Amino acid sequence: MSSSPITGLILTSSDIANPTSRIVPLQSIATISTTSKKDATSVTPHTHTGLARQRKEVPLASEVPKKGAMQYALTTLDQVANWARQSSLWPMTFGLACCAVEMMHLSTPRYDQDRLGIIFRASPRQSDVMIVAGTLTNKMAPALRQVYDQMPEPRWVVSMGSCANGGGYYHYSYSVVRGCDRIVPVDVYVPGCPPTSEALMYGIFQLQRKMRQTKITRMWYRK
Amino acid sequence: MSSVTRTLRNLWKSGVKDAWRQMNYIGDTKAGTLIGTDRWGNKYYENNEELPLRTRWVDYKSHDFDAAHIEPGWHAWISYLVDKPPTQDALLQYKRRAWEDADPRSIPNYTLSRSAYKPYNTVKSKITMWEPTTVERK
Repeated sequence: MSSSPITGLILTSSDIANPTSRIVPLQSIATISTTSKKDATSVTPHTHTGLARQRKEVPLASEVPKKGAMQYALTTLDQVANWARQSSLWPMTFGLACCAVEMMHLSTPRYDQDRLGIIFRASPRQSDVMIVAGTLTNKMAPALRQVYDQMPEPRWVVSMGSCANGGGYYHYSYSVVRGCDRIVPVDVYVPGCPPTSEALMYGIFQLQRKMRQTKITRMWYRK
Repeated sequence: MSSVTRTLRNLWKSGVKDAWRQMNYIGDTKAGTLIGTDRWGNKYYENNEELPLRTRWVDYKSHDFDAAHIEPGWHAWISYLVDKPPTQDALLQYKRRAWEDADPRSIPNYTLSRSAYKPYNTVKSKITMWEPTTVERK
């Protein structure tokens, strides 16, 4: 006879010789559970603000069909503007941590952002896109907002890396903002810790795809 | 960056129709040899007289193109991981693996669509926001 150190069960010599006889077939825990079953659909969602707000479904930009000559003309105008915008993207480098190294790799010849018309600008007044690369601390947050406010319209924000997306590794730190979308509106989130330069480039492609679908003059005409 | 003479030279080489399409989709005129076409219908070109690492490019099939439309084998070629394109290398050609659930071709990128990922929380919020109220001026 020997006693198992973990379970405290008494094992006989026959059990040790044939361990399969002791294995109990797997059962679902639902039969012995005393709590009532709660699906995700039965849960009433809590609103973030506490204010009861009605959910509003708005058709996506790609779901609205074009109608009328004016719409077609303005769509062409939009395409020209979007083409110009997406092919000369000047990002503001907001390199805060290790993601900035990957962002720098994007500008080096291996990934060669220059062929996409992307030139890093040091001044927010000359840039269209802000790439927030790295951990945004509480101390840096006002500076980030100020730089964003200094950028001219139209402007976009790419949140790069898990720290900028939602705090990431430092989510529970006392001094880190849990995601840069608490400070500025974010267009594209690039996941990763840090994301590769290829991932950031794919994020920029997604941003260009978003730009292509932007309605500029059509929204102005609707007003 | 492209110079005017280079743009015009490539326009002359590739023709007006191709150059128009390239200016719309690539934003630059490029002239080269067609290396192959993948299962999506994307066309892959090469011209070794271009600047290094700009010698291979893709002409997407769909209007709403996405870099994820590039097939894995062709992605390796266009990223300069391999020398030979999938048309010459049997290992790079697409084969359906036994463990694959679905053809990756049928999985789109859901960004900018209704199915886009949206995080949600089913737990009661720990904080309540300030409800702004104003008192009527008398």
